[in-house]
Amino acid sequence: MTHRAYVGIGTNLGDRVANLERALLRLRRLGAIRAQSSLYRTKPWGKLDQPWFLNAVVSLETELSAPALLEEMKKTENELGRRRGERWGPRAIDLDLLLYDDLEMKTPELCLPHPHLRERAFVLTPLAEIDERFAAMRDALDASELAGVALIERESAIAMSLEGSAPLRERLTALARFLAETDAVRVRVERAQDEIELEVRPRRATPADRQAASTPSAAAPRIDTIKADLVGIFHVGRPVPAEGDALEGDRELGYIEALGIRTSVHSMGAGRLVSVATADGSAVEYGQPLFLIARGR
Amino acid sequence: MIANRGEIALRINRACRELGVATVAIFSEADRDSMHVRQADEAFCVGPGPAGRSYLNIPNIISTALVTHCDAVHPGYGFLAENARFAEICGDHGLTFIGPKPSVIALMGDKATAKRILREAGVATTPGSDVLDSIEEAYKAAESIGYPVLLKATAGGGGRGMRVVNEPNDLPRAYAGATAEAEASFKDGRVYVERLIRAPRHVEVQILADEFGGAVHLGERDCSIQKPAHQKIIEETPAPHLSARARTSLHEMALAAARYVGYTNAGTLEFLVLGDDAYFMEMNTRIQVEHPVTEMVYNIDLVKEQIRIASGEPLGYVQGDLVSRGHAIECRINAEDPRNNFAPAAGTITKLVFPGGPGIRVDTAVYAGATIPPYYDSMIAKVVAFGDTRDVAIARMERALRESLIEGVNTTIEICLEILASSEFRRGRYDVEFIPRILRNGEASSVSPSSR
Repeated sequence: MTHRAYVGIGTNLGDRVANLERALLRLRRLGAIRAQSSLYRTKPWGKLDQPWFLNAVVSLETELSAPALLEEMKKTENELGRRRGERWGPRAIDLDLLLYDDLEMKTPELCLPHPHLRERAFVLTPLAEIDERFAAMRDALDASELAGVALIERESAIAMSLEGSAPLRERLTALARFLAETDAVRVRVERAQDEIELEVRPRRATPADRQAASTPSAAAPRIDTIKADLVGIFHVGRPVPAEGDALEGDRELGYIEALGIRTSVHSMGAGRLVSVATADGSAVEYGQPLFLIARGR
Repeated sequence: MIANRGEIALRINRACRELGVATVAIFSEADRDSMHVRQADEAFCVGPGPAGRSYLNIPNIISTALVTHCDAVHPGYGFLAENARFAEICGDHGLTFIGPKPSVIALMGDKATAKRILREAGVATTPGSDVLDSIEEAYKAAESIGYPVLLKATAGGGGRGMRVVNEPNDLPRAYAGATAEAEASFKDGRVYVERLIRAPRHVEVQILADEFGGAVHLGERDCSIQKPAHQKIIEETPAPHLSARARTSLHEMALAAARYVGYTNAGTLEFLVLGDDAYFMEMNTRIQVEHPVTEMVYNIDLVKEQIRIASGEPLGYVQGDLVSRGHAIECRINAEDPRNNFAPAAGTITKLVFPGGPGIRVDTAVYAGATIPPYYDSMIAKVVAFGDTRDVAIARMERALRESLIEGVNTTIEICLEILASSEFRRGRYDVEFIPRILRNGEASSVSPSSR
């Protein structure tokens, strides 16, 4: 017996795109992902000094019962929020079970449909994108609530994830390169208390825009995924390849350390580095995405 | 870390859960949706579908154990379970291999040497040669033993690299076939020759030994119901129609052998039994597929015992403390077509209902909608029936198999039912030629006692 569940994904810590990719990878083990929304950038709720959120919704076809699915999701949250054993503070990923078939239930652990489903633009906007039935519910939300959620191109999301150990100068170079290549709406870079926000050709996201933006443009470059071909600890190379870097020839991007041996990870040809999909220093399994590279023009 | 897949990976996971031990599963790309991946605390993909690149990929498996900070590795059965090098590499990396010492695995893995050594321990073995260096030696050995003989791979198991030789003229072809098959299957083409014992029973003894010299046996299992390639399909304990004298001698030989080689952890000694005579065949240095029947009658969890022993605990009981009660039978439900030489039937299981009720245990890793990948063995489930008497166990097994519903793939359920219904099985008077006879004669019901 298969069931149709809708799962909301949210992340506002660390490399958000990588968090999201990892969550998707885990969700795939719980069932088949039948639809996946675009990525949405959401202003933080309540405490405004938090970084922005990245949100998406997927539709999952699963054999698991609702409580079992919820338990697996909690496990995934815990796993992804941890660096193999050691806690790194608050969870990097939030998974919400929004809907499960037509099931209605209310227990201390699980409430279906999700109690805030009707109120939150960051849930309803991506949900309505993959399921028309929720369009009316989305349109019923306040304009101010809707304005807090903006569809973003995957690549803008990546550019906005520029954080971590790279020096500010490197990240700004990557950012400049990225801006030259894209028509981003708004870019915000945060680091500790510092943040830079740039607005390029500002425009307000409307439902019509969302529609247009969710259909991929014909000129989109092909994205190659460089995957781990062995199990070990993944290390990003030095100098750290920056997202947005133009890669000429076959460049070494990092290595996997296993049983005391380092095995190089190469770009497998020229392209532009779209994203580092796995955090430096984390354990990787066979086939795990490490780098996304855009090929051609 | 559980270095296996399928039902045994789940079985090990269950034991760990009950002991409060956290688990890491490994899986191939073909097993991404399998149960053992879901049940373990963590799961790591170690390679693509073919076992050689995933479940036998020692570097990736060891690396997984290290990056996930595992303490011990349980190899299950098959794959790396009897690979002495793997056990040694585990030790080199500070991982406890749940099984005997690598040197003992290596010794027992070399079947011809194992026989020679155990003869010293007073264990009866089939008259046979040492490892042969040439076909000339094979002629000489066969001549002195007396035809018919069996050519066997010294690294062998599961009937591969094995040939019957009825007369000297058959030897060249059999020798070439056995060595080639052994080379392909085990990367070790060495063979030896032994007397062919016609229509024996296959009886094996379960033993457990700790690291402090404590060793016990947990009775025997009769595994004579075997498919043409010597693969077991029905096992039971106690072995029916074994004289008290033969039974005691089997148990004593097994214990003597285990003590002589300094065996630790769970292991099984396989014997060929003909009348009251028993000949040691080989020792399996791992948990076996059919271990649940022993668990049922001894009320002991063998996998937990394996983990306890590996973590340095003493057995905590002696032979006199162990009492077996009742009778247990296991039927292996495989996705294969018995009427087509047991050809494996990979596919998707569309409907699935497993039996339950008193005295029934089902060990499985499949579920409705599960796909049986073509890369691995075809076992879907093990149905185990317990009863106070053999008759009760058989009746329960028949009832349980009739309750089972598996659609989408061919299975061995029907042939198991036929075997259970046959008078030969009912009377407990069967031997390893039982299934070949059924296949020759068509229906099991037509196998009359006089056909022996």
